[in-house]
Amino acid sequence: MLYNKYFKMHMKSSFEYRFNMFLISFSQVFICIAEILAVWLLFQRFETVGSWGFYESLLMLGIIYTVYSITECFARGYDEFAKLIKSGEFDRLLIRPVNIHYQIFGSRIEMSKASRIILGIVVSIIALVQIGVDWTVWKVLVLISTYLCGCLVILGLFIIGAGISIYTIENLEFVNIITNGCKELSYYPINIYNKWLARFFTFIIPLACFNYLPVSFIVGNPATIPWLCAISPLLGGLFIIPCLIFFNLSIKRYQSTGT
Amino acid sequence: MSKYYGIFKMQFKGELQYRAKALSGIATQFFWGLMYIYLYTAFMSSSSVDGFTLSQMASYIWLGQSFFALRYMGMPKHASDEIVNGNVCYKFIRPINIYNQWYFEYLGEKLAATLLRFFPIIVISVLLPTNYGLSMAVSGSAFILFLISLFIGGMLCVSISMFSVYLTFVTQSPKGSAAVISTIAGLLGGSLIPIPLMPSSIQYALNFLPFRYISDLPFRIYIGNIGINDALIQIGISILWLAITILLGQLLIRKSLKKTVIQGG
Repeated sequence: MLYNKYFKMHMKSSFEYRFNMFLISFSQVFICIAEILAVWLLFQRFETVGSWGFYESLLMLGIIYTVYSITECFARGYDEFAKLIKSGEFDRLLIRPVNIHYQIFGSRIEMSKASRIILGIVVSIIALVQIGVDWTVWKVLVLISTYLCGCLVILGLFIIGAGISIYTIENLEFVNIITNGCKELSYYPINIYNKWLARFFTFIIPLACFNYLPVSFIVGNPATIPWLCAISPLLGGLFIIPCLIFFNLSIKRYQSTGT
Repeated sequence: MSKYYGIFKMQFKGELQYRAKALSGIATQFFWGLMYIYLYTAFMSSSSVDGFTLSQMASYIWLGQSFFALRYMGMPKHASDEIVNGNVCYKFIRPINIYNQWYFEYLGEKLAATLLRFFPIIVISVLLPTNYGLSMAVSGSAFILFLISLFIGGMLCVSISMFSVYLTFVTQSPKGSAAVISTIAGLLGGSLIPIPLMPSSIQYALNFLPFRYISDLPFRIYIGNIGINDALIQIGISILWLAITILLGQLLIRKSLKKTVIQGG
């Protein structure tokens, strides 16, 4: 399969610079640990925020790290799409007889994110054990769909960013703001923010659908409606559809930069 | 001195060209400032924590957002690029101290980025309602001390950033080292979470490290969380840290320059 070849190629190229990869992996894990420490310090001082304790926040943090790193690892091509446009390399992708999304996925695979994926999963497991969830089949299914929904939503954001850069050529900062910033502020229950912000991040960009709502269902947060929380990841995953439509429409308008 | 002023001025003018970038930066800072205030308000729940009130917290956040560029510990891009692509060899033939040159380049970049950004955020945040907006400095003398300590803080930030230049010399890659140093400084200097919101034992320990003198000290002088007398003593300590970090940085860079091998090209 073609993707296998892409995968092997990226694997080889990143292992060429082993020291560099090690350094980047190390620094990424280091940053994550510092962020976890900051959250821990806050809870050390205040113990709870709303009905939320440290481990509930840790679980959300674990989910966000995992899905974000998985998406960054495999879909970095969308994140750095502006580079393809600027260098004119996108023209080459367009004339090949393979689906364009398939090629973008293949254009970048970042092995150095693997360390963060592992960290995210470990953190999620620690949090789940510490919370002491009484598991049911439904909760397992919701947890799995949460991770899937998370990947789809972040991927959707990357795709929108890529679509916009077809018009602007430059990478716009605001996409990074949404993706990176949300990462930082979504460890906490979304209802502590302003009502309109909370609505924006539930209904327009469905961040809450892969952290606050499903986690509420899993830990049994009394402030929410259980069945609605349980299906929220499924609804949130639909976010990818308008993103793809937007991207495909944008490609039709594509004018080469001519370089 | 005039040649360093020249380097500084060139960087400054270059940075002023990127107005659109600054504008989107301002919007970002503003949005996240608001989010952080909601977040910490939810944490604090009662109106004050050991004398740190909600309105002081809001001011602390807005100052942090306004002077983001000044306190953010990035990688001095010029220096690291020159090391990686080998252009550093041109620096050898010039009769200027390399450390000083990089130092003033980065300081210029930082000050210009700050001057472009801080004013709009200050104006908007002053207009917000109490407990969400930026309040006035507690007194005139506190304001003057705030300005002095902020400037020293900016210089201290640059001198600590210069260690990542040294690490670039060692590792040949600018990617990891800057991230590690900026994370340490972010956590221990109060830009990840405000230092007054940390447990008190940790707050005490942070007094013995240089990082909190970059932005935490000036902001707390401004909001009146640190009295005038304490402020004077702590500004003295921050000057001491500035001298130590610059001397150490000079030494390390000089040492690594001696070992530099340029690989043709």
